[in-house]
Amino acid sequence: MAAVSSARESLSHALNNRYLPNLEYLLQGSILDSAVEHLMHRLKGLCDNVDTSPETFHDLEVCMSLRQPNSNQPLMLRVRRALGRDVPFQMRYLGQPEVDQRRPTLVRSCMDCACSSSILEFLTEMGFRLEFEYIAKGYMFRKGRMKITVSKLIKIVPGKQQDMANEPISQSYIVELSVVAPTGQENVGEEMRVFAEQLKPLVQLEKIDYKRLGSMP
Amino acid sequence: MGVTVLQPYPMPENKSGAHIIDYLSKRLLSLGATHAGQFLVDCETFISSPQPHNGTPGRAVHVLHNSEYPASTFSIMDSGTGKQVSLVADSIFDLLMLKMTNTFTSKKQTKIESRGARFEYGDFVIKLGSVTMMEHFKGILIEIEYKSCMILAYCWEMIREMLQGFLNINVGKDFPSYFAPQTIMTPMGQQQMHAKHNDMYEPTDTVKQYLEQFTNYRKHVSMHGGLGGQQQQPVHMSPSPVMGAAGGLGMIRP
Repeated sequence: MAAVSSARESLSHALNNRYLPNLEYLLQGSILDSAVEHLMHRLKGLCDNVDTSPETFHDLEVCMSLRQPNSNQPLMLRVRRALGRDVPFQMRYLGQPEVDQRRPTLVRSCMDCACSSSILEFLTEMGFRLEFEYIAKGYMFRKGRMKITVSKLIKIVPGKQQDMANEPISQSYIVELSVVAPTGQENVGEEMRVFAEQLKPLVQLEKIDYKRLGSMP
Repeated sequence: MGVTVLQPYPMPENKSGAHIIDYLSKRLLSLGATHAGQFLVDCETFISSPQPHNGTPGRAVHVLHNSEYPASTFSIMDSGTGKQVSLVADSIFDLLMLKMTNTFTSKKQTKIESRGARFEYGDFVIKLGSVTMMEHFKGILIEIEYKSCMILAYCWEMIREMLQGFLNINVGKDFPSYFAPQTIMTPMGQQQMHAKHNDMYEPTDTVKQYLEQFTNYRKHVSMHGGLGGQQQQPVHMSPSPVMGAAGGLGMIRP
């Protein structure tokens, strides 16, 4: 009988054969509340998953960080949970963006891991501390391997019930176009740039330079 | 997925692990069980570094895999104060743990695994595992799963009868130590006896039982594993540092 392979072996097999998605390509932009309906119509025309009304989401994202003794940069992990749905939590690690001016999109290493609801307690026991949290509520579209989200960021007001504390951070929606793919895929950036062209001039999707912003990614 | 009980097998003095596995496999096959592949449960432990100076044990993260659930990684965090938090995540969690090597270092020498053949017998799945740590044989763990039931209290007697039947050993009437009633703190701050044998069974329970057994093996507790793990036979009181020199599947008696 063939020996069963250990989890480590299948994971390194996935990495070496380049089918483990571990790079995120990202373009971001924003659009005012008053104009978002036009964008939604255009996306409905362009995208795949619109048989019924566009897919909505209502998520709480928490960013936790761990101070590492040997480096200045704390290790950041994001945990995202869907409010109102009983689905696993999603944990995400995002690396530093790759510095490459020629690339049309932001590229950074990304690891997505589904996990059980004890993740926050688990990370706290490990020594992670809460950096920030927010609620994102909006719509999700798909085109091929690209994911487009149009969402409103909502601030969490401590002490108030989530339903009542509808305090959006701004009067616009954030639009994100992203692909998570294994290393070695070459056309992703180009595909995204071409799609972003179709959304102009409603929204300008571009690569944000986080260093210029001066704050955490 | 059903209730799963781990039973350490008391190793007789003059027999090797391979001989016992062979003997038990033959008994199972003659009962009518079918050999259905192999299984592997492994455990790697990460200790927080730097170690705290005031003598308290550091935090440990145990990362386990169970080939029965190949897409998942189980993780149990031991805070040193007795509190355990468990987590079930995708296999990619292993890569995330590698990112934390600054704070959590892997103690490679305590990597331990249980590996062997898997048998199906009606509604039972029986696994005969040889436990090895760094290529050294430690003992035999039998895992028995009764797929049709999710609560131990309803099927313990049947599992016990099955174990006694094919293992030809005496299995105590009490629930295994993992399922024994425990004292827990309710959210209101009161202490209460909690009967784990009435809870719905989860795959995490299997993994936690393995961790309990692996921890015993790592501490060089009673070579026989004991029935219920409590009694130590007088002959085997001495912890045997020569265990490591055994090599292969033979065992050395002090």
